[in-house]
Amino acid sequence: MMQGSTLSMRDTLAQVLVELGEKDKDLVVMTADVGDSTRASKFKEKFNDRYFNVGISEQDLVNFAAGLSAVGKKPVVVNFAMFLMRAWEQIRNSISRMNLDVKLIVTHSGYSDSGDGSSHQALEDIALMRTLPNFSVVIPADSADIKRGLPKIISHKGPVYYRVGREYSPQITDKMDYEFEIGKSYVLKEGSDLTIIGAGVLLWDAMKAAEELERKGISAAVINLSSVKPIDEQTIEYYARKTGRIVTIEEHSVYGGVGSAVAEVVVRKYPVPMRFVGATTFGRSARSQRDLIDYYKVNYETVIKESLELMK
Amino acid sequence: MGSDIAPMGIKGERDGIPISIDEINKLRKVASKARNNVIKMQFYDHSIHVGSSLSSIEILTALIFRYLRDSESKYDKDWLILSKGHAAPGLYAVLAEKGLIPEEELWKIQDISGLLQGHPEIFIPGIDMSTGSLGQGLSFGIGVATGIRMQGGKGKVYVIMGDGEQDEGEIWEAMTHAVTRKLDNLISFIEINNYQLDGSVDDIKPKHFLPDVWKAVGWRTLFCDGHDFASLIDTIEEAHKIREPVVIFAKTLRGKGFPVIENTKVQRASPDDARKYLINA
Repeated sequence: MMQGSTLSMRDTLAQVLVELGEKDKDLVVMTADVGDSTRASKFKEKFNDRYFNVGISEQDLVNFAAGLSAVGKKPVVVNFAMFLMRAWEQIRNSISRMNLDVKLIVTHSGYSDSGDGSSHQALEDIALMRTLPNFSVVIPADSADIKRGLPKIISHKGPVYYRVGREYSPQITDKMDYEFEIGKSYVLKEGSDLTIIGAGVLLWDAMKAAEELERKGISAAVINLSSVKPIDEQTIEYYARKTGRIVTIEEHSVYGGVGSAVAEVVVRKYPVPMRFVGATTFGRSARSQRDLIDYYKVNYETVIKESLELMK
Repeated sequence: MGSDIAPMGIKGERDGIPISIDEINKLRKVASKARNNVIKMQFYDHSIHVGSSLSSIEILTALIFRYLRDSESKYDKDWLILSKGHAAPGLYAVLAEKGLIPEEELWKIQDISGLLQGHPEIFIPGIDMSTGSLGQGLSFGIGVATGIRMQGGKGKVYVIMGDGEQDEGEIWEAMTHAVTRKLDNLISFIEINNYQLDGSVDDIKPKHFLPDVWKAVGWRTLFCDGHDFASLIDTIEEAHKIREPVVIFAKTLRGKGFPVIENTKVQRASPDDARKYLINA
């Protein structure tokens, strides 16, 4: 399976935002001095009067967006995942508490800011964001998933945390034809022996692991859990019952992220053995995101290893 | 704040609507009733912030009774943001005088069956922003004021902050942001009552530099006596004429009008002292 190449995650993001901005005159985009890095500044080129750069001020950014939303605008905050978490308390006490229609779109999540090292790599944000009442947490798998999902995210009423990476975007869903919906997961591959559930770019690893397991005679289903919150309990329960084993993979800490969210459903609905593939500590600098994914073994090799353990 | 602060009570030009003695007396009456009700509220719940509330009573009364315009449109209504959310009992008491909150709800403050929360929540009538965590109201106000201006609305945004609150880093982010946007529909108050939770601001973190800092950043800085309606209204009138962000430093007293706690860090008196006060009130 080739990784392939397509438009980067952040370039796709900017393209879709500009398209949506044409249709909705209330859409306003704001950032905190990372307009170029996030590609949010593409919106400025088209709609200068609906684009705000507040400077390096993430706390102010969040409450500024909250105020714009309260008065009737549709703010889209675009920032690095890591630095938006600096304003987690503002997100909690203003956007979440008042249930404001603010979209937080973050780039540079997970290991995607490979060069900058551990200070810039957000591996805790899913855990932080999914605890917040009223918030939805969505992770697109690739550029195709952004094109499919982002218009729905923007038209959704209520706050959403939308977690995007940077350049790296292996093709995962581009050949697939499905409509995105918040709260729904998507079966990327059918299987009967075990289920691999993941989100984001690591679904490429999930698919590759499933292919190799197939060669060893193990039939693995793969699920794109793009909506981590609300979570698709029905599909998770169905596959827990059908396959009896679950392996999760995420570009995030195994504490509190995608795997934890799945486990919370599994233990209530139909307990089966589970394994969690993800980060257990901070990252470091590397020349590519892929180098980090492999260095920390948050990859298909670990999924295969854990799957074989579960099959014993 | 020490005596080296710029002099308080500088009067503005008087070409706005002049305030009559009758109106001042009316506002005083409202403030006095609200003040007594805040003190009475501590009979029912002993943990409310009485001192901070009494510091804000006249500012809230002036804004709610003289200035705030309501409108069906969010862009044409005026917004009141109590960034120092712990003064909520003061705000509730004034809103009750305005008829927005039933008076009997005041006695149920913080009760499990009551409407009124320890800090403002938008589900309470008259509340425009849920606050309670300090330093967040000004940024929110900038968002509202920016949205109003984009839409060509008539609304003004009033943000009330405390002096202790100025310690928060987000205030710096917001005060520099507002100037960048040249917002002329945003009026901020900073109450200078010289106390924050743990003690006097001079002991915890001095703030004598604040007016200079706000001015240097690009805000128009006005000063008034935050308990004197003539001074307050003069200053608000002047603020309305200025076509850039305005901050009003309002000298106030923590616990104003309640002698046992007035001008101290103490937030509330004993029930006995409160009773004695109310009998004489």
